[in-house]
Amino acid sequence: MKSRSQAEEEKKTKVYKPSRATQLFDVWRKLKKSKMALAGFGIVLFMTLAALFAPVIAPYDPGWMGSARLAPSPVHLFGTDASGRDLLTLVIYGARISLYVGLAAVMLEMFIGLVVGMVAGYFGGKIDEILMRITDVILTLPMLMLLIVAVAMFEVRSIHLIVLVMGVFGWPEMARYVRSEFLTLRETTFVEAATSMGASSWRIILRHILPNALSIIIVIATMDIPWYIFYEATLTFLGFGDLSSPSWGVLLERGYDFAAYQWWIITFPGLALFFTSLGFNLFGDGLRDALDVKMRE
Amino acid sequence: MNESLLNIKDLKTYYFTAEGTVKAVDGVHLTINKEEVLGLVGESGCGKSTVALSIMRLIRDPGKIVGGEIWFEGENLLSKSEAEMRKIRGGRIAVIFQNPMSSMNPVFTVGSQIAEAIKLHQDAQKHEIKEKIVEILDKVGIPSPSERMEDYPHEYSGGMLQRAMIAMALSCNPKLLIADEPTTNLDVTIQAQILELMRAVRKEFDASILLIGHDLGVISELCDRVAVMYAGKLVEHTDSTTIFKEPKHPYTQALLKSIPRLDVETERLLIIPGTVPRLINPSPGCRFHPRCEYAKEICSKEDPPLIEIGQGHSVACFLYGSIDKPNHKHR
Repeated sequence: MKSRSQAEEEKKTKVYKPSRATQLFDVWRKLKKSKMALAGFGIVLFMTLAALFAPVIAPYDPGWMGSARLAPSPVHLFGTDASGRDLLTLVIYGARISLYVGLAAVMLEMFIGLVVGMVAGYFGGKIDEILMRITDVILTLPMLMLLIVAVAMFEVRSIHLIVLVMGVFGWPEMARYVRSEFLTLRETTFVEAATSMGASSWRIILRHILPNALSIIIVIATMDIPWYIFYEATLTFLGFGDLSSPSWGVLLERGYDFAAYQWWIITFPGLALFFTSLGFNLFGDGLRDALDVKMRE
Repeated sequence: MNESLLNIKDLKTYYFTAEGTVKAVDGVHLTINKEEVLGLVGESGCGKSTVALSIMRLIRDPGKIVGGEIWFEGENLLSKSEAEMRKIRGGRIAVIFQNPMSSMNPVFTVGSQIAEAIKLHQDAQKHEIKEKIVEILDKVGIPSPSERMEDYPHEYSGGMLQRAMIAMALSCNPKLLIADEPTTNLDVTIQAQILELMRAVRKEFDASILLIGHDLGVISELCDRVAVMYAGKLVEHTDSTTIFKEPKHPYTQALLKSIPRLDVETERLLIIPGTVPRLINPSPGCRFHPRCEYAKEICSKEDPPLIEIGQGHSVACFLYGSIDKPNHKHR
């Protein structure tokens, strides 16, 4: 079946096999090339670790109270807030809430956006038309207004409600990107080949197309996390937030009255927000290059 | 006479586009016998691939099979449900596409894709599947198969990928293998190897093969019988020796004269004048008549039926049958 010499020659050349680990390493290698992306990754990692190990890292207990409005000093690195709590501790614990908000909302967005985008893109036709019109309508609704309405309507100021509303109305962009990926990928020969081997529609969607669209989904999700953190902070700052969950937004809202006299009370939570947003954006940008995703800017 | 495996009767597959209806396949009759290789030849756009896709029921919008019957092992595929078709696809009929480089999913290893195909149609333990993959990759000539099955498609060469595709297609022992221009995108030496492999595969697996292509030389090398298509119609259907010795249809004759030959001194290669007709609202009569040097008045009015003019030799042309025979020499 095969000429002997050729078979032998192919045997001689050492076969290089990348495992899944080396593939990940490959992405990391490309990511490392960009200093910005690396900085973004560093910030994201730092914030995540701070949130995870808050009880270990935080110098005080979040409920601990001392003298109010102390300026930053070696004892209180970020100073204390209006009720005498250690601001550094609050910012660290705030990372937990804010990251939870960002991640949970993105998970929801991904779930809904994926289902809608996959179905619309793969099946096309009428169902695509209907789903895309719904997407268009939701895209026109301003998120902040929706959040205020939801909080007012349910009369509950729960962080989970805020996350739910953000996720349930935040998916249109994700759905559009997923749809366009599926539109392209469903025309490929390997999809045709899989169909001709007897794979069902859902099998093709989940096993054959989705893995090829994963890069773009990861990138969009990463870039969307800071948006949700910001929405929650803005909402809280406007006075519609869940004050029982001390996110960075809550710290800002509480510290606002003292902004003119004790600068540190809003500066540190604000910086935490700023750097987290910057971190996720830089990291997402880097991932886009490393995963070689084509996206509209 | 051999037992027939696949029997296509009066198949009509049209594409309903905004510009009009494209009659890509318009009343095609074909029979493939058990353990036979049938070649389907024609220019690009003549409907060869549409025939293949129709058999698999993979015609997508705006295309539709509007008429005919496709009998496979005593069952009409056109009356099967989608779920029943899924069992047949890959299980009893498998396809090899023309572009091996894009026929495999880039994010999975070659082995895992073949495993997936096997799992779709057979209940097998993990180690059994692995053994089977190694065995079949070995059969199609992939060196050190147990290592190469862990490779991703981009690490294979085009020829090796086509071998792997053949392995995948054969993994569930299909009765019919449809090869849609399997060597078109490969270079010449690899082409020869793949054809050699197809020949070996045919012996080994006892499968019938429908080999689609535009190269009569390549086709005849492998096939028992050859069917020639032109603009959605079957024009000639005979065995692969007769097609070279006694081509009857003017199109087949012209096609043969346009192949460069080493053993005959020719002045110039023949070029068939004109172009393939647009399949949107084609002119009435024989589809080839505007380009045919023997065209008569009737050719532009009526559609010639496919008539049997000899042992297993059918032609759709008014030059034959009741009307007087043409007196011209070929070659």
